Amino acid sequence: MNLTVNGKKTAVADKESLSVSELLDELNVEDVLYVTVELNGDILERGNFDGTLVRDGDEVEFLYFMGGGRG
Amino acid sequence: MTIKASQLRFESLAIHGGLETGTGGPTTVPIVQSTAFAYGAASALEDVFRGRKAGPVYTRLGNPTTEALEKRLALLEGGRAAIATSSGMAAIATAVMSVVRSGDEILASASLFGGTFSLLRETLSNYGVTTRFVDPADTAAVRSGVTGRTRLIFVETIGNPRIDVPDVSAIAATAKEAGVPFVVDATISTPCLARGCELGADIIVHSTSKYINGAGSAIGGVIVDMGRFVWRSDKFPHFAPFVKRYGEFAFAARVRKLIHKDFGGCAAPMNSFLLIGGLETLALRMEKHCANAVALAHFLDDHPKVVWVRYPGLAGSPFHEIATRQFHGRYGGLLAFGLANQEAAFRFIDHLRMAKNAANIGDAKTLVIHPASTIYCDYETEDKVMMGVTEELVRVSVGIEHQDDIIEDFAQALGEA
Repeated sequence: MNLTVNGKKTAVADKESLSVSELLDELNVEDVLYVTVELNGDILERGNFDGTLVRDGDEVEFLYFMGGGRG
Repeated sequence: MTIKASQLRFESLAIHGGLETGTGGPTTVPIVQSTAFAYGAASALEDVFRGRKAGPVYTRLGNPTTEALEKRLALLEGGRAAIATSSGMAAIATAVMSVVRSGDEILASASLFGGTFSLLRETLSNYGVTTRFVDPADTAAVRSGVTGRTRLIFVETIGNPRIDVPDVSAIAATAKEAGVPFVVDATISTPCLARGCELGADIIVHSTSKYINGAGSAIGGVIVDMGRFVWRSDKFPHFAPFVKRYGEFAFAARVRKLIHKDFGGCAAPMNSFLLIGGLETLALRMEKHCANAVALAHFLDDHPKVVWVRYPGLAGSPFHEIATRQFHGRYGGLLAFGLANQEAAFRFIDHLRMAKNAANIGDAKTLVIHPASTIYCDYETEDKVMMGVTEELVRVSVGIEHQDDIIEDFAQALGEA
């Protein structure tokens, strides 16, 4: 499936859908306990990572509050 | 294969939490004594600055050693994220100023460490933030102390040096009803006696210089975001951009990316290393601090020269019941007692042979101080009285020496008082 991850086109596992938890694993996202996940413009509650599916064409943003910038 | 933090009990979490060891990696957290961190590609450094990737850039903003400490403390408190600071006062000031703006009001316990009182009463009033002080044991007074301008409620789990114990969950309920964050200074109780997630706090602060360090060797502080408070409210419009971008991490983000970043009260990597080491023995040390304090409190309570003793572990303490419930039958290592007058207190202190006369708490060594003439020497009498500081009071941070040595030292010094 093809996703847009942090603004870049990214090909991930050849499946119809993945849970957000599986996606974090698939992309080796670091510090998963501290990452904010936005799916198609909506911030996901952490408790919904297992139950929320990403599909072909979805836009995903990973954001860390520890970043050096101001905003 | 690594074990998940959720599978570890407190004592084990204090040793393993936040430590990610790969094959052949060190079993301690390395001291990363570096100001900055280099990235090969310009876009990689950009990604970290923009928060797209995790990574350190500059030690004022974040450092791997300090990050390990932050992760461990967040896990121990049951919180979402933590920010370590250069001192406890830096943690308190940064946490409070991340919430309030000019025109806001703070409702604070009257039973406060002198430095916190000075921050709230003196320093913040220069910036249009006023504080109302209320007896934290009077839950009705706490409720009626909330006004339309209240934006934060602040208490200490065990007041220093009043040694009182507020009903934290009752105050948490008041804060929730008022729609304001509840900030709890848990320095004296530590996460050992009660974790932030049990206290109902929204934000926990510590002077990690005290029991968490445990050796009197490093100054530090920490802000723990419990991740419970919903910042999406007309009381906190300044949080809106952080809520929008970081969701549950809105407070941690505002602290880290704005107030903490701009104030610059960052932790030193070496201190973070020492604090991580301290955490590993915190549970063991607190057991000893508590056991020694109970014994010393009883000894003092029976002594003819001691006029009064304040320690929630004594059955006669007005806070015994609440402390027993809140801290699971342990009462901390801090106590206060009164002699006849200041002169007697000075003679007592002068004759101690093992305990040290010093301005600190939570060291392995037993420490005493006469607060009225030292930490609180510049405060008005009425403010001192409000904070429980009187001329005959001696504060004791009971150490983890052999119990008999502590009691014998006090006995011979009281003989001269």
